Amino acid sequence: MQSQGPNVTDHIKSDAVQTDIARIRDGFEAGGYVANTHIATAVYLAQMLDKPILVEGPPGVGKTELAKATAAHLGRDLIRLQCYEGLDEAKALYEWKYGKQLLYTQVLKDKLVDLLAGTRGLDQAMERLHAFDDTFFSPEFLEPRPLLKALQVAEGCVLLVDEVDKSDHEFEAFLLEILSDFQVSIPEIGTVAATVKPVVFLTSNNTREVGDALKRRCLHLYIAFPDQALEMRIIEKRVPGVSASLLAQLVAFVQELRTKTIKKLPAVSETIDWARALLLLHATELDDAMVRNTLNLLLKFEDDIDSVETEVPGMVRRAKESAVGAVPGAR
Amino acid sequence: MSRMMTRFVEALRAADVRVSPAETLDAARAADLVGFGDRTLLKDVLSLSMAKTPEEKAAFDATFERFFAFETLRTATATAAATASAPEASDQDTAPQEEASDNGASGDSAASGGPPGGGGDGSEDIDAAAGAPSPSLMDMLRTGDRTALAMAIARAGEQAGIRNIRYVTQRGLYGRRIMERIGLQELTDAIIAAERAEGAGGPQSDALKGVRERLRRDVDDYVERNLALYAQNEGKRLREEVLESVRLTNVELRDVKTMRVLVRKMAKKLVALHSRRRKKARRGHLDVRRTIRHNVAYDGLMFDTHWKRRKVDRPDVMAICDVSGSVATVARFLLMFLYSLGEVLPKVRSFAFSGHLGEVTELFETMDMDQAIPLILRDYGGGATDYGAALQDFADIALKDVDTRTTVILLGDGRSNYTDPRVDIMQQIYARARRVLILNPEPEGLWGTGDSEMLKLKPFSQKAQTCGSLKDLERVVDDILRTAA
Repeated sequence: MQSQGPNVTDHIKSDAVQTDIARIRDGFEAGGYVANTHIATAVYLAQMLDKPILVEGPPGVGKTELAKATAAHLGRDLIRLQCYEGLDEAKALYEWKYGKQLLYTQVLKDKLVDLLAGTRGLDQAMERLHAFDDTFFSPEFLEPRPLLKALQVAEGCVLLVDEVDKSDHEFEAFLLEILSDFQVSIPEIGTVAATVKPVVFLTSNNTREVGDALKRRCLHLYIAFPDQALEMRIIEKRVPGVSASLLAQLVAFVQELRTKTIKKLPAVSETIDWARALLLLHATELDDAMVRNTLNLLLKFEDDIDSVETEVPGMVRRAKESAVGAVPGAR
Repeated sequence: MSRMMTRFVEALRAADVRVSPAETLDAARAADLVGFGDRTLLKDVLSLSMAKTPEEKAAFDATFERFFAFETLRTATATAAATASAPEASDQDTAPQEEASDNGASGDSAASGGPPGGGGDGSEDIDAAAGAPSPSLMDMLRTGDRTALAMAIARAGEQAGIRNIRYVTQRGLYGRRIMERIGLQELTDAIIAAERAEGAGGPQSDALKGVRERLRRDVDDYVERNLALYAQNEGKRLREEVLESVRLTNVELRDVKTMRVLVRKMAKKLVALHSRRRKKARRGHLDVRRTIRHNVAYDGLMFDTHWKRRKVDRPDVMAICDVSGSVATVARFLLMFLYSLGEVLPKVRSFAFSGHLGEVTELFETMDMDQAIPLILRDYGGGATDYGAALQDFADIALKDVDTRTTVILLGDGRSNYTDPRVDIMQQIYARARRVLILNPEPEGLWGTGDSEMLKLKPFSQKAQTCGSLKDLERVVDDILRTAA
């Protein structure tokens, strides 16, 4: 019972871990991806425990970007598999090179006479035939698809299985072997295991519930919309050149927009687009007309724009007020 | 540590976070990796490996806070006692604290199969061996050593089996048991002795009574926290079970919210069950492409044949709901059900009628359920039910769309106020549709009595059944999905 207590070694352990996590976070930030500690912890844990991460969250919060950032940070290749309905093993795992196999059989037929020269009777011919390696189903004729490729990369890689919720149930079941053991079975050849275990990210937009079996094998990371401070840092990083006052105002505006009841809430990617647009328009402050004209960058439904439009002046005013108290220099 | 982990998992499961043994192992590995030094870090890694949906994350956060609130209380006691670094530790306090650390060390052995006398007696034995004065309940109370007291309460709680607490009504029972184990008798004896010495209302006995009150409050708090931890969902679960089988017409207004959650839960279960898209191999059509591909190995001889498969379509559902009077409640829940199944039933068209009929599909698509239903009841409810007119309206609007893929559900009590039920239209629908179901909230014995036209309508359906409770509804919807393939 005493060992439960936060004793000295535990503190050292935790501190060491925190340094590692901070290093990952800084690495991400250097690569242009601003993450909070929670996200960095997930990546750290995935690496240490060799477990895939299932990333969920509203569209546009940087789920796919996280995989890219991790690849950049680790200096590994990113192999991406986009899921869709009807995706099967032939497209995800491997396929035989049919054309070459066909040529091979023809070549074999031509050479067969030479090969079997001097044999007498069927028995001898068959014996001779068995002596050859069966190269028809051999790794040379194998066309690796993303999943197999990810296992074969010698120095390890980052595998991104994007939008896994869009795939069929069969495919999900088939992912299980790869995700738990980092190996695949090819009936004609045998089992291919990873030389270096890849870091695996799965993303889901929740178009359907991902199966329990898959969830059990993964760490689960939920990325929500960032809070004001984090979003400002993201914009600052991704859209350099935005003045401090505009930055605070536009983020405050978007943050308030997310509290409204609209069909599709603006995500970080939309904030970035909007910030870019405002920068191009040489804006230094938000004003009603400009916001109204560029609202279509933030909101993607006509209904949403209509419902928000009347509230724009009030929201701009509030954004300005809150921006005065917040930031310049608080970073 | 593993013991604490299993206790934590138990608490999580009580809070509706489903944690599998494999996940427990993962979590233990993760916790081992980061250590227990940093609370936020620990919470992060445990949350990553145990809570797998947003709802579970929320439940996890709450449980973590609650669980480690007094888990750390206990460990804090151990450290404080071990280092004796509590700032308020006066000379007088130091002695009992040292004893408390002794207690902590031997706490496990006392808890598991220790003497039934509990905290007070157990520690007396140990401390006698250690040659220190007894830190009995009285001493703890006198010196005001709250940490030692909290630990004693926790230990007594373990012995009393506090983890099995399930219902609010058990609070008193467990509180009493803990008080007894911790040495209530001793305290009561002291009070009686004091009263004898100085008469009722003396300063000594009053002080002791105050102490007893405080102790009781502490114990109550402890029981309360444990109840929240291990039993927060138990009552809810019981209630849901009852609601599932209660007749929908008897559901009270205040339960509607719970029912909605329940419907969503049931719908989710059905979705999980039926979301696998079934494929049927149809004989007779060769899939040329696949066959050639697979037969390259045999030099192009069609040796291993592959046949075209057909995806089995989801059923189109048309729900015709009587929204008059008592049937409205049932209609409400049926519609709620159908629309919660959007994932496996993408095409649901709904029609509402009493005197006349209209299509309400659009209302549900553009509006929230709660807003849509009152509107429907306003527009279509209230009139005298007329099945003939309603079916005529349906024929005008949608009969042409009824085809071999369509399942038509007619929900109503079949009471047409002595008007012609227009069985001929029903017959047309029956002829065109894949299936016709008639659901009636009335028990079967009442069918055909008075103005009920059920017996006339019934022949034109594959199935006519009573449908009174949520359970019934679930069965019906399950049936629709099952036979769709």
